[in-house]
Amino acid sequence: MTDALQPAGANATGARVLVIDDEPEIQRAIRTRLSADFGVEGALTGHEGMELVARWHPDVVILDLSLPDLDGIEVVRQLRGWTQVPIIVLSVRADDSDKVTALELGADDYLTKPFSSKELMARVRVALRHATPATAGARPEARFETDGLVLDFERRRVSRDGTEIHLTPTEYAVLKYLATHAGKVITRRTLLQAVWGPEYVSEDHYLHVFIGQLRRKIEPDPTRPRYLLTEAGIGYRLRDPA
Amino acid sequence: MMRPAPPWVRYAIAVAGVGLASLCIAAVRSVAHVANISLLYLLVVLWLAARYGRGPAILASALAFLAYDFFFIPPILTLTVNDPAEWLSLFALLATALVVGQATATVRERAQQAIASERLAVESQRAAEASQREALASQQRTATLYALAELIVRTPDQTQLLDALAARVVEVFASAGVRACALILPDERRQPTIAAVAPAGTPLACAFDLSDRTHAGWAAWILERGNAVGGRIGPRRNVQGSDAADASLAYYIPLRTSERRAVVGGLGITGTPEIRWLASLPPHASGESPRQVRADVAERQAQTELFGAFCTLLALALDRLALQREAIHVEALRESDQLKNALLGSVTHDLRTPLASIQAAVGSLLEPDIVWNDAERREFLDSIAVSADRLSRLVSNLLDLSRLEAGVAAPEKQWYPIGDVIAHVLDRLDLAGRTEGRRITVEVPDDLPLVPMDHAQIEQVLTNLIENALKYSPAESGIAIQARALSDPAALEVRVRDQGIGIPAHELGAIFDKFYRVQHIELPWAPRRPPIGTGLGLAICAAIVRAHGGRIWAESTPGVGSTFAFTLPMTEAAPQGQLPELATALDETTSDEPAPVGAADDLAHDTAHDTTPAAPTAKGASA
Repeated sequence: MTDALQPAGANATGARVLVIDDEPEIQRAIRTRLSADFGVEGALTGHEGMELVARWHPDVVILDLSLPDLDGIEVVRQLRGWTQVPIIVLSVRADDSDKVTALELGADDYLTKPFSSKELMARVRVALRHATPATAGARPEARFETDGLVLDFERRRVSRDGTEIHLTPTEYAVLKYLATHAGKVITRRTLLQAVWGPEYVSEDHYLHVFIGQLRRKIEPDPTRPRYLLTEAGIGYRLRDPA
Repeated sequence: MMRPAPPWVRYAIAVAGVGLASLCIAAVRSVAHVANISLLYLLVVLWLAARYGRGPAILASALAFLAYDFFFIPPILTLTVNDPAEWLSLFALLATALVVGQATATVRERAQQAIASERLAVESQRAAEASQREALASQQRTATLYALAELIVRTPDQTQLLDALAARVVEVFASAGVRACALILPDERRQPTIAAVAPAGTPLACAFDLSDRTHAGWAAWILERGNAVGGRIGPRRNVQGSDAADASLAYYIPLRTSERRAVVGGLGITGTPEIRWLASLPPHASGESPRQVRADVAERQAQTELFGAFCTLLALALDRLALQREAIHVEALRESDQLKNALLGSVTHDLRTPLASIQAAVGSLLEPDIVWNDAERREFLDSIAVSADRLSRLVSNLLDLSRLEAGVAAPEKQWYPIGDVIAHVLDRLDLAGRTEGRRITVEVPDDLPLVPMDHAQIEQVLTNLIENALKYSPAESGIAIQARALSDPAALEVRVRDQGIGIPAHELGAIFDKFYRVQHIELPWAPRRPPIGTGLGLAICAAIVRAHGGRIWAESTPGVGSTFAFTLPMTEAAPQGQLPELATALDETTSDEPAPVGAADDLAHDTAHDTTPAAPTAKGASA
């Protein structure tokens, strides 16, 4: 579906984005915006989309969860069977469970319709950044920094604006997990599983309390978190360094 | 006492008696001469007088005089008399017959009078007793019917009335054998439904079960045909013991306001065999002897009449209820129609306005002959953006409200920290550029417990309240959001306070109504630009908070500011406990790309869990 909508020479970064959505007008709007910065392809069905992922090797996939031929969640499941390409799912409001399922099956991020082009571009950039180490081979980072918050992985130290913050091993583990996936939405279930193990995956309410404690240590104003952001009903996201 | 013979019979007997006496005398005479044989006539007259009174005796006397002269006094077979002495005996016979006859008749009359007067006395006494009884019964009947009528008039609640009516039937006709009853009403499709039973909750009342084919058939029959029906029914599983016998008979009686009117409902009764009299059905073979039946017939008649009157009143009551229902239905239809019209009008306007500005702006931009400069294009695009935003908000508001009102959006409550919701809402408003340059403070105590809520819905409440506060207060003023725990009853209270124009006191109650917009608003910092809104935001907030069992209200001082507050109940204790502390920090394995949770469930996990001490305090607390 490469067509005249893609201005020549606009593909500044060389990154490729595939948009799988059955709404032609949404396709048009998203692709027009993205084509200013990326190479763009579009697919109107799930099958067409998966075929393009295999043939065209996009760097990011934007996937609408409601497709005419097969469930978007099923597309995520099938794609994750053979590729780690970052997937941003699009969905309408009020179906948290679909988003959570897609994220837990390996989708990287979500966008709720209606969304602004600003949000769209921000998510695509995060996804591309996140995808780089995986595609470019493991590049172990010694430290993580975002807006004054620094995690020194080698010395296991955390500081904010130069002041060291004392964290318990568990708090550090949570923060480190989020930092290694910075900018990405981590579902509560995924976080619980990764840090505490599978028997804790349903302990959502204790995680709320735990995150509250962690915020009081790392956030300058815990009522307006700057680093550890809540994705209501879904999970958490550590602020992206950009 | 034999009935008196009619006059002609009496006189015929007199004629026959005289004839008989004449024959006897002739027979005696033919054998021998017996003196004064004519006394035989006297015997006949005497008997007649005693038996039939004065008239037949006089007739017999005259006939005897003539017959004796004609047959026995020479010259025989003429009425002439040869011997003057014979005249004497002849007249003596007549005189004796008359006198004796009259005397006997008088005695007889006296005796008869005495008997008659005695009988009269007995009869009048009986009549008095009967009328007294009847008066009493009719008085009772009137009182019963009056009480019923009063009950009907006095009870405004339909369900209550139906229950009370059923109870009254059992109460009043218990003596007629009624043990339980059911009021049958036709539904919209004229199918019978049970509207009330009495005595409620008893096994007997449970006998009226329209899932039972017999009962359903009878109930349908009375509604359809208007004739009483019923009879023996099989013993029911749910009726046991001594009641079982009482429930083996059931009758269904149609209820109509008058003989010619349609059936408005029905009455099902069950009880002892006597109840069939109430239903005015012919008795069928049962253990009762005819003598018993005759003895109670008057009593039964009265009961049946009372029952008939009772049924007419019941029919009137049901008729009235049906009319009331219809009126309410019509009223509700009318109201919902009006509401729909108002809604449609308002929504149409609210949808059209932004659409029109988008179309105008887009049409201008696409105009082939005009080249717009950047500032002009920017202006058009801004207008499109604002209108599209407005449309989007209106559509989602309408969807939310209709979902909430249809009850399909029942809150899915989970334990959730209100602080996270507030932060998330503010982040989104920041991202949308709505909070630019505003001072927003948030106060949430560290120890505020988790609260059960549908976070998406509460997010919306907060979004609407904060957007309202932003809209109705000047750009440089602050907005404060506070959350705190209330006790007794335990609840979370969230307050959103602005320093805006405020709301007049008389409008505070109405602002949560659908489509209500505060009247005559002019924002001092934006004159001639009335704030844009759908009039649905606060209605949605109210619907959500109420669905959570909470309260929402507004306080305001015009010119100083408004506070919108809502509560969420915290009657349930929040889960206590916490996640276990890891013994050592996570090692490098976790920095690997995480396996999807679903897949990892099947794998032996390789993360820090292996180093977790077996102290699942959180598990224990939540169990």
